[in-house]
Amino acid sequence: MNRMIFKHELQTRIRSILTWGLSITALVFVLFTYFSVFAKEAELMQALLAKFPKELLIAFGMEHINYSTPLGYLAFFFLFIQLCLAIQACNFGVGLVSIEETELTADFLLTKPVSRMEILSSKVGAALASLVLTDAIVWVSVFFALTIYGEGKPYDPRTLVLLLASLLFMQFFFFGVGLMISLLVKRVRSVTPYSLALAFGAYVLNAFSGVFGDVKLEYITPFKHFEPGYIVDHAAYNTPLLVFNVTITLLSLAASYWLYLHRDISAVS
Amino acid sequence: MNIFLREIKATRKSLLIWIVVMGLLILIAASKFSAFAGDPEMLKILDSIPPAMLEVMNANAFNLTTIIGFYGLMFLYFGLMGAIAAAMWGSDSISKEERDKTVEFSLVLPVSRSRVVTAKLLAALVNCLVFVLVTWGMAIVSVQNYQPDQDFYAFLRLEMLAMFLIELIFLAIGLLLSCGLKNHKIVSSMAVGIILVTYFFSIIVKMNKDFAFLKNFSPFYYYDAGEMYRNGHLNGMYVGFSVAIVMVCVIAAYWMYNKRDLYTP
Repeated sequence: MNRMIFKHELQTRIRSILTWGLSITALVFVLFTYFSVFAKEAELMQALLAKFPKELLIAFGMEHINYSTPLGYLAFFFLFIQLCLAIQACNFGVGLVSIEETELTADFLLTKPVSRMEILSSKVGAALASLVLTDAIVWVSVFFALTIYGEGKPYDPRTLVLLLASLLFMQFFFFGVGLMISLLVKRVRSVTPYSLALAFGAYVLNAFSGVFGDVKLEYITPFKHFEPGYIVDHAAYNTPLLVFNVTITLLSLAASYWLYLHRDISAVS
Repeated sequence: MNIFLREIKATRKSLLIWIVVMGLLILIAASKFSAFAGDPEMLKILDSIPPAMLEVMNANAFNLTTIIGFYGLMFLYFGLMGAIAAAMWGSDSISKEERDKTVEFSLVLPVSRSRVVTAKLLAALVNCLVFVLVTWGMAIVSVQNYQPDQDFYAFLRLEMLAMFLIELIFLAIGLLLSCGLKNHKIVSSMAVGIILVTYFFSIIVKMNKDFAFLKNFSPFYYYDAGEMYRNGHLNGMYVGFSVAIVMVCVIAAYWMYNKRDLYTP
């Protein structure tokens, strides 16, 4: 780990951390101000739902979620927080080393007396730290929103912690996969199209996840690995999917190291 | 013409990636659908739900055991993917020259700036059109097992038309951003911001009546699949609205690009 690189990398990410962290904070607060209104409607709905056959609720992926509880309500729009953070993580992953080549600074960096291993480790370390910082902002804001607008309704703190911690796993997944993809292609011209395709692609594949039974193909998307409804309902992660998720993250990071150490970096000509 | 062909070639890969993602979505949806297609049990359950309930589940006006119902449910995702792809093509087309430091080269060619924008716009337009047509084709192939009738084809045609209109809106917005803003780094973050905010609006509009006014700010919501099915045509007011947005953005884009200074780091 090289302190100079780490510091520089962290500095360039401050704006992104604040932008994403604060926009999500705004989102959480705006939505939670409507909690009381929504909870009342939801209680009526819940009474209505109780009359329906269980198969129907399962078919629509609605057997888990109870909007009248603070955590149920959070789970309801949690997917959107996940989506935002996934885009950020993809941005960091895809841009981590490719940016040096697009901005023609790769030669400059690689002529420094530091090994590639050290460069990549410092960069990865700084990016992961930035992801954790962003998540920390989100954690704090969700906690405050729950306390202020939760109407004092009880919730299970353990479930909340699990739900919020899942954001980290999710971000690391997208970061690792994004980094690997950026090293697999010959040249990344622009980061955004890659990260949007990756994040929204995964999001859309998850679109019908609750509806009408399982399709194996769905398990490739991390949105499915950390379904908020499942976590709230079981107060636990879906262990096989969690293991799968972490394995993919680690594999893609290992592959990235290998690829970067062997990469033919295009020089300024 | 050369610029146009060059653009088509440069964006080929991205078009391919989007088509693959769309193909995966249709594949997943089709295999979900096969589980309960025409299942009378399911139909009975669905019939027992009061309409207000269906409204909440965004399944109004649809019988989900039919392909029309199922493709109605999928429309939002078609629109979303079309919008992102189009916004990327629009915003990347102009600003990539400055990012890749090729802008001087392309602007010293004996063509006016307007000609450059036109060629790039046309190339992006062709991409959008191809994306819609391929989606259309894949959708038709995916339902062949269920004997689609005339109604389904008519409905799918409307859906694809609506998807194309959504694409045009985001293409125009992307083009305006990349023509109007000097710093190419801001262009792509703004494009992401606009997509996320408008998509988010389309979700919370359904949550509460207080949010209904947001409908006008979210192109994803201009064309409602249920409404299309019931009326058999697109909402005329919103078609006009879409055309107006596209016109204003494109005209402003040409005007601004002709006046703007180039980005110098």
